[in-house]
Amino acid sequence: MPKEQPIELFMPPNMLKAKVGGTVGGIDVAAIKRAEAAMETLKADFADWVGNDVDRLVQCRDGFARARDVEARDDLFRAAHDIKGQATTFEYPLVARVASSLCKLMEALNSPEALPLNIVDAHVNAIRIIFRDKIKDRSNRMAIELAEELEARVVETTELAA
Amino acid sequence: MSGYRFDRLKILVVDDNAHMRKLVVTILQAFGAIQIFEADGGERAWGLLRDANPDVVILDWMMEGMSGLEFVRQLRSSPQTPNPFVPVIMLTGHTHIDHVRQARDAGVNEFLAKPVSVKAILTRLIAVIEHPRPYVRTKSYFGPCRRRRGHDEYRGPERRAAAEATAVD
Repeated sequence: MPKEQPIELFMPPNMLKAKVGGTVGGIDVAAIKRAEAAMETLKADFADWVGNDVDRLVQCRDGFARARDVEARDDLFRAAHDIKGQATTFEYPLVARVASSLCKLMEALNSPEALPLNIVDAHVNAIRIIFRDKIKDRSNRMAIELAEELEARVVETTELAA
Repeated sequence: MSGYRFDRLKILVVDDNAHMRKLVVTILQAFGAIQIFEADGGERAWGLLRDANPDVVILDWMMEGMSGLEFVRQLRSSPQTPNPFVPVIMLTGHTHIDHVRQARDAGVNEFLAKPVSVKAILTRLIAVIEHPRPYVRTKSYFGPCRRRRGHDEYRGPERRAAAEATAVD
């Protein structure tokens, strides 16, 4: 099948470059250092932020257990997805890993009826425990085993459902 | 030292998660940006697009209500769009290649996978400043050219369809 032919291909004037100037000379190391120092000042809040996200996940899990509908499923997915994306930045990489496993399960089993609550719960509980025990080290054996076990359950469950 | 005047840039940060917004805004401020606008969803961002006329949008994919993808499609194609050319950096926890493709097909300029890092944000900002993509309008798409950089320079006639037809013959 032939490619769709472009009707128009054009280059708008580079207004950004005209505004910000600068020279092409690789990455500005000073800017990176300033931004990393600014991130350091936020670090004191990271645990509270992850805590808020975990609380929201638990609330969404409870909502999903009650309603088992698309809206509750989507709320739960957004909460898990936020943790997947953010927890590593906020120094809880294994919390992010377990949330990623929960997202994989939910992406594979899209309908609320198909989503096994016991496996959702296992993920939510693991996230709570890793956060409660302040496990920030990505080589923590207990947390890795927990994550691996959950990932294996997700593979097993999604393969059975396929 | 690249010496970019980020203080001259208006940047719109759209994310329904307040913590992620704060992190991104803090990093942008450290780069020197001072004209930063924040929105916690697509609807609010649409209003700011009109009122603030940002130069760059940093946009989360997964949001309640209007998703980041829907926002970009509307930004590129709606007759009411204030600026269909504004560069969009899509910030997302989605990392599968299909998601990158979807974002590109919606009209995203740069894709930034979470977890975010200072260097990754700066690299994407520099990419939209130094290496803007040409824009394409077809029957079904308007937005930055979806071909990889390095192929963008070709300005001659489209030859592949003819070549494919010859090969079939």
